[in-house]
Amino acid sequence: MMVKAVKPRAGSQAASRPQVFRLDEAGITFTEIEPPIEDEAGLLPQIAEPHPRRRLGLAGLFWSGLGGLVSLGAGLAVWKLVEDLFARADWLGYVALGFAALLAVATVSIIVREGLALARLSSLDALRERAMAALAQDDRPEAEAVTRALLGVTGAMPSLARARAELTTHLGAIIDGADLIRLTERSLMAPLDARASQMVADAAKRVSVVTAVSPRAAVDLLFVLYTALTLMRRLSSLYGGRPGALGMVRLVRHVVSHLAVTGGMAAGDSLVQQLVGHGIAARVSARLGEGVVNGLLTARLGLAAIAVTRPLPFAALPAPRLSDVASGLVRADEEPAPPQAGIKRAGKASGE
Amino acid sequence: MAPRSRFLEDARIGFRAVADRVEDLARPTLRLGVTGLARSGKTVFTTALVQALRVGGRLPVFEPYASGRIASATLQPQPDDAVPRFPVEDHLLALEARTWPASTARVSELRLAVRHATRRGGMRTLTLDLVDYPGEWLLDLPLLDMSYSDFCDQSLSLARAPARREAAAEMLKGVETLDPAGPADETVARGLAARFTSYLAACRTERMAMSLLPPGRFLLPGDLEGSPALTFAPLDLKAGPAPPATLAAMMERRFEAYKSAVVRPFFRDHFARLDRQIVLVDVLAALNAGPAALADLERALDSILLAFRVGRNTLLSTLWRPRIEKVLFAATKADHLHRASHDRLEAILRRLVERAYARAQTGGASMDVVAMAAVRATREADVMRQGQKIAAIVGTPEAGQEAGGQMFDGSEEVALFPGALPADPQTLFAPAASGFRGMDSGDGDFRFLRFRPPAGIGSGTPLPHIRLDRALQFLLGDRLG
Repeated sequence: MMVKAVKPRAGSQAASRPQVFRLDEAGITFTEIEPPIEDEAGLLPQIAEPHPRRRLGLAGLFWSGLGGLVSLGAGLAVWKLVEDLFARADWLGYVALGFAALLAVATVSIIVREGLALARLSSLDALRERAMAALAQDDRPEAEAVTRALLGVTGAMPSLARARAELTTHLGAIIDGADLIRLTERSLMAPLDARASQMVADAAKRVSVVTAVSPRAAVDLLFVLYTALTLMRRLSSLYGGRPGALGMVRLVRHVVSHLAVTGGMAAGDSLVQQLVGHGIAARVSARLGEGVVNGLLTARLGLAAIAVTRPLPFAALPAPRLSDVASGLVRADEEPAPPQAGIKRAGKASGE
Repeated sequence: MAPRSRFLEDARIGFRAVADRVEDLARPTLRLGVTGLARSGKTVFTTALVQALRVGGRLPVFEPYASGRIASATLQPQPDDAVPRFPVEDHLLALEARTWPASTARVSELRLAVRHATRRGGMRTLTLDLVDYPGEWLLDLPLLDMSYSDFCDQSLSLARAPARREAAAEMLKGVETLDPAGPADETVARGLAARFTSYLAACRTERMAMSLLPPGRFLLPGDLEGSPALTFAPLDLKAGPAPPATLAAMMERRFEAYKSAVVRPFFRDHFARLDRQIVLVDVLAALNAGPAALADLERALDSILLAFRVGRNTLLSTLWRPRIEKVLFAATKADHLHRASHDRLEAILRRLVERAYARAQTGGASMDVVAMAAVRATREADVMRQGQKIAAIVGTPEAGQEAGGQMFDGSEEVALFPGALPADPQTLFAPAASGFRGMDSGDGDFRFLRFRPPAGIGSGTPLPHIRLDRALQFLLGDRLG
């Protein structure tokens, strides 16, 4: 044991001995490290590769077979159409060929765009995971990489210019890994979080009002669906995701699974409040009660979307809670119902 | 101590705590203790802390400041009129003249009123009392539970340890020739106490850098110098109580006087009232001096840590016996290392305070370790020599420092590679002092020079630092929320 401990030191070469250099000494070159401040142009967005984990299951085989057949069929149909048109008149054929080329170019670019959007989403997911790891292990190089990547992601947001510039000057300073992640979160995420909460609150309010006044259930169903989708898309764009159509599908899946995981816990903290809110509002009017419930649902969906789309975990800043985004909604709806205050107080007292 | 007087003592501390809490209601106050062994950088830290709160600076990690919530911090008259004030202005002038401020030889206090906005909005004022006291005094606290014969056993066995035997030779010779049962002669007592003191002082030099040197007030006597309470020394006691009017009886009486006149008032008036504590540790000096110094530092920290009553406060303990809720251990002078080694320095300190760490965690207190420099005296640079890149630091060594056969005049800048800290701190603590070589061997594994403060800093300008913001965030961040 003892020998083991000594050995690396005894064998330590001259490089690890203490050394003193005069600044004008011959034979050495001397470079002072300035805090590395990089210009914004150097911080290009980093788009990570999509997950390599692609399983080729039966469903995959099925879908790729079907997709291949359908695209072959479509290609054949187009080909036939062009041939028919050529048979009819040459100029018609050329026009059709032109349209077909346009179609091909557009298809390819849509595919590329969707692919990029998907890659961006997964790079944000990867970023969040890396940030969590850096927080847990206090890993400075990793934290710096995460911060640089985020500076790139938020590079297109004009309102963050000042925060970005400040953060960039801190990159060279001696800050521990976990602290750097927290600092990044405070400077870059705080303004976005405020906007995100506002968006969720607005959407929830809109949904509850529309539900309350809509003449038919089908109308508010459609409206809720539409609002929820727009909300998710806007939140994702806000945090730098800009999802395409496929990205939206994935986002919805993530949000729903997140809701499924956290739903139970969230129910615990505010179920009582929701039930109470619903009960009072429902007593005033059934439609109003449905409005509140729909609004709360939208708010909850929005919170899940925030958790899924935000590129950093909530470490330095508190995560928005249901009461933050739904308070306006509940208060606005319940103000005409004076018994609420009394019930609330009673509920609280028994809880404490 | 007799049970009755112990009860009285506890009651006094308790009433003081209740009075403090009542005062808190009117004016929220946080008492922050700054301590550390000699030359660990207490004065510089306190000065830098005050300057950071008053003038600001580059403090991105200190959230209340970085988010612009601190409106102002002003110096206030301190609450205890009998305690010296921490002369922050003088220390800033010293830094401006590129010398390190004079060291802490006694307890001093400073009160700051920090006007700040809370996170939810609305202005508050937090009164911050800084209590700066020498860490040697903490080493005295275990004496409260010791009898004179315990003290003799412990200090004589320390003195006879191989690392100290040389410095203690004079004192041990004196002890061995004396008969504890001899007559109580003042001249003999003074002679022996002088030898004891000079032995303690010899252990403190840069070459030895020993830490565990109770009684602490012998090295920093202040106005008690020459009083009987500071004129005692350990004796080779025989078993059984000392007969009256012997030398042993006189020494024992003086030891008890030291406890009641020096240790207990400090505990009651200062230490028992702290809310937060930062312990500064100069790990680098111990590495400089060698394995014996490092082992001694470990023992000293251990006995310091025993003194802390740490843990989360309960409703009752908040009122009656408040505990220290947060303790930060800071390895100071991190600017003597390249940033790549800071984590390793932190790991070494973590290893040193391991046991205390575990204890605090069971008590519910929060505790952290940081490598920092309250005032950063160096810059970093890469030196290329013979195709090898060496990560060095650049600074102006103090006059009289020497390394690698060169003597510095205090005006020339040099680049220094101080040696590589091991990735695994455990290798430094290898048994039989084989982990590394100190300065005594003539070819130490580490050489940390003392650098002068950087040029161009002063009362009106922010001070350059390393991780001071992290320390502030840990110690004050939650109370400025």
